[in-house]
Amino acid sequence: MSGANGTAPLLEMRGVNTHYGAVHILKDVEFSIYPGELVCLLGGNASGKSTTLKTLLGMVVPTTGDVLLNGEIVTDESISYRVERGVTMVPENRRLFKRLSVKDNLELGAFLRSDRSAIDADLERIFEMFPRVKERLSQKAGTLSGGEQQMVAMGRALMSDPKVLLMDEPSMGLAPALVQTNFELIEQIHSQGVAIFVVEQNANMALSIADRGWVLQTGRVVLDDTAEALLANPHLRASYLGET
Amino acid sequence: MPSPVTAENRLNRRLGVDAFLLLMRVVMSAFVVLGLLMFIGQQINPDNFVASRINPDATGLTAAQFEGLVISGLSQGAMYGLIALGYSMVYGVLGFINFAHGEVFMVGAMTGMITSNKLDESGAWESNFLLSLLFVLVIAIICSTLTAIIMERVAYRPLRGSPRLIPLITSIGVSFFIQNVSVVLLGPGAKSYPTLPDWLSKKRELFGFVTIEGTRLMVLVVAAISMVALWYLVERTKIGKAMRAVAEDKEIASLMGINVNRTIVTTFAVGGAMAGIAGILWGLLFRSVVHTTGFLPGIKAFSAAVVGGIGNMGGAMAGGITLGSAESVAPLILLEPWGIDGVSQLKDAVAFLVLIFVLLVKPTGLFGERLSTEDRA
Amino acid sequence: MGRIRKLLLLLAALALFAVACGDDDETTVGADMADDSSDDMDDDADDSSDDMDDDSEMMDHLGDGSLGVVEVESGEAIQIRSLNTITGDVAFLGLPNQRGVELAVEHYGAIHGFDVTSGEGLDDTCSADGGQAAAQTIVADDRVVGVIGTSCSGAAAAAAPLVTSAGMVMISPSNTSPALTSDLAGTAGENYSVGYYRTAHNDLYQGAAMAQFVYGDLGLATAAAIHDGDPYTQGLAQAFADAYEALGGTVTGFTAVHKDDADMVPVLTEVAAHTPEALFFPIFQPAGDHIAAQAPGVAGLENTVLLAADGLLVDSYLELSQTAGMYFSGPDVRYGDNTNQSTGRTADDFLADYNNLYGVAPEAPFWAHSYDATTLLLEAIEAASFTDGDTLVVDRQGVRDYLNSVSGYSGLIGSISCDDFGDCGAQRITVIHHEDPDDLAASKANVVFEYAPS
Repeated sequence: MSGANGTAPLLEMRGVNTHYGAVHILKDVEFSIYPGELVCLLGGNASGKSTTLKTLLGMVVPTTGDVLLNGEIVTDESISYRVERGVTMVPENRRLFKRLSVKDNLELGAFLRSDRSAIDADLERIFEMFPRVKERLSQKAGTLSGGEQQMVAMGRALMSDPKVLLMDEPSMGLAPALVQTNFELIEQIHSQGVAIFVVEQNANMALSIADRGWVLQTGRVVLDDTAEALLANPHLRASYLGET
Repeated sequence: MPSPVTAENRLNRRLGVDAFLLLMRVVMSAFVVLGLLMFIGQQINPDNFVASRINPDATGLTAAQFEGLVISGLSQGAMYGLIALGYSMVYGVLGFINFAHGEVFMVGAMTGMITSNKLDESGAWESNFLLSLLFVLVIAIICSTLTAIIMERVAYRPLRGSPRLIPLITSIGVSFFIQNVSVVLLGPGAKSYPTLPDWLSKKRELFGFVTIEGTRLMVLVVAAISMVALWYLVERTKIGKAMRAVAEDKEIASLMGINVNRTIVTTFAVGGAMAGIAGILWGLLFRSVVHTTGFLPGIKAFSAAVVGGIGNMGGAMAGGITLGSAESVAPLILLEPWGIDGVSQLKDAVAFLVLIFVLLVKPTGLFGERLSTEDRA
Repeated sequence: MGRIRKLLLLLAALALFAVACGDDDETTVGADMADDSSDDMDDDADDSSDDMDDDSEMMDHLGDGSLGVVEVESGEAIQIRSLNTITGDVAFLGLPNQRGVELAVEHYGAIHGFDVTSGEGLDDTCSADGGQAAAQTIVADDRVVGVIGTSCSGAAAAAAPLVTSAGMVMISPSNTSPALTSDLAGTAGENYSVGYYRTAHNDLYQGAAMAQFVYGDLGLATAAAIHDGDPYTQGLAQAFADAYEALGGTVTGFTAVHKDDADMVPVLTEVAAHTPEALFFPIFQPAGDHIAAQAPGVAGLENTVLLAADGLLVDSYLELSQTAGMYFSGPDVRYGDNTNQSTGRTADDFLADYNNLYGVAPEAPFWAHSYDATTLLLEAIEAASFTDGDTLVVDRQGVRDYLNSVSGYSGLIGSISCDDFGDCGAQRITVIHHEDPDDLAASKANVVFEYAPS
């Protein structure tokens, strides 16, 4: 398999099956994410999107199949092992540490790193990207507005210096006006060379910025194509983009 | 026929509860204020017309006696505070009350007793007291920390994820277990610490107007140092940040690369170390320890943690000081003027009344934050 | 065949043991019999049982059967019980008591050829709950004739009514609360039960002794007393306060501490408000440790004389440096050559056996009271029983009749006589002055005051 950029895949799933008890969630899921890509995973409720993310991060261990990071099999490795090697996630609903200060939240993102000067440089980069975050640095995260929290959540994820950023439903629970800003932020991060894997229900928005996309249906990848092709796919338009 | 639950009914009931709570607050406050006024009156003139009626035996307290009470309350409170930290931290991280924490304190006091007596036999206790004391402190901290860690590993980790009541009940069992192990190993009698050198235990003048027993001064100083060290650990270090993160959201903490299990163990260990320090201080101050030594201070420290706002570390220390001072000073100041006999027997009752009073006025405790329903679930 | 032979040998050995121990006061006879028995064991076993048949005519026992009888089948043992504090903080008191029972049973030997057993030692936990629970266990077994216990007065108040109403007797080696017997002026105490006896002193005597010592010998005119709510400590503190006031002293404070408290500054400050010259705290460890340690540091108590009672008269307390200079009241433990008339043993004999058997020396002084209480009970059983064929019949009322009439019985603790309310103790109290925590023997021998009821 050759990548979009002709390089080796960054993050990869090979024939992954997962179960919650007797319930078969992911069925022979296979896909690869290449460096610098922005890809999205579409799917309705209970299609297995969250499980896919959890499997990639190691919160769920697949029954069969493997997860590869930089070509290395990490199926049985811990979350921190994977985070250290360049994968992280912005969780659904942001999930900031609300009682901790914004600064603590950001620094927790860099928990596994020890190079202080590099961390400080990354902090500066984030302040450049989100000047409002810098103003609120000593405030408790729980007191921020929804949009500001989204910035901190992204900043926190970036603080681990990821090669690939997983985003779980980034537009969930945000006011429509903010959704647009949010995707602009995603593109901004992407422009800095970080591969992004967005899981979204808002297929239109996601595909408008993505390079490629997959569609997951009851735990199986049913479509796998470029974003333009998917946007043009009549079947997809019918079921996800609300057009008849 | 049951009356239908209408909005009006519900409102009435809520108003009733509010009115009752308000009444309780007013009555308790009035009792405290009146007691205080009568005490002041008694201090000015023991034969004033109120005192001669209500408390004819009134003599008032001398300044030295009052000072003694306050210092004893503070030093007792400082130890409660150190123990309370363990309750509060574990509650913060795991959301349950570890009732066996009082036993961790007892283990610290017991270890200190064994070590210091061994040193006393060898003569080191007398010839090189400070070094011996340091050694005793280190050994006691190690033992109580290990106790806390083993407790977590054996008794609580297997129950992670089960309803909160289950580890709570387990902790009561653990408490009995540790007490009984102590009886089996060391026997049921009271065991004593060796005598402290005179230069430490003698009374000394401080700032020209406070006379304080050296041992109690040491308790206050060591407690303050421990508290500052703990504050630094929790607020300024990576480990502390991890502890706070785990306390708030274990899943996201693990996403940050934090090893949640190790952080929980660290929390138990730090709480255990604080209890160990308190145990040594207790041993040096009271110089006597039995297997039940942990029970009453444990319960008081738990109350202190609640008074200060459980989950909040500064609150635990403040709660400890509040509770310790109140139980020491309040019986003689607030109750004695009412003419109640043998008020010192009411010491424990006063401690728990403080708890009730604080909860009536501020249900989350002095420094507690209002927990959202989600956090409490 | 071999099995029967072994059984006979065993029986003979038991009989021999019984003879050797039981008839100790006629040692020559015992020795003769032992010689005989070695010649022909089968014969001797027969002999001894014959002897008993001859001895025990129906007419020869005490009691009218009004409380019923206990029938002990041949081969069974006579059942008595030990009910003492054998766990917890006060086990130092109860363990020597229980061992005193065990040794007394062993030394006394068989009664009319029947062995005696005290069974598994029961625990009163030094509390009313513990006393009640153990008493219920005891009365559920109607073979039990009598109980040696309890260790603590608080436990006795709950246990004695149950035990005595089942027709059994209860003899306590260490209950001293006046409430359990009488006020010594003919009025029964509120917890008195008919069938309850004790070889320990009545604390009215101890309180009076302490009061006389403080007021008379030390010449102190003001005193305070502290108890811990336990009936023993409260009774003794009250007895002291009453006797002290009767002598003309002023009691400036009478209060209580919590048993588990360590910080005594508040209670001591309360007491210090009236600067008493003497402070009497007849309580237990560890609360006693803290009072002795903290009192000199409380303003107003710097020069107050500290006094305590037998509850604190234990080595682990006397070893504490802060107890130097204190005075302790307690039973007179100078047993000297006092001989128990039933076993012929002296206190020294007892202590030697105790050390051999248990590997330690007793911590509290009531082992002697326990030993005497047990031999008294066994004497009472012997006097109130007869054999009916192979069965031994013990008349419960007879046991009480014997105890009620005890007078001038020679025990380890001295001459024992029972009054109408079960007080059988020697009632000799001493006060010691504890000067050197490194030499406990010297302190215990340093008797500065002696008291015996007039």
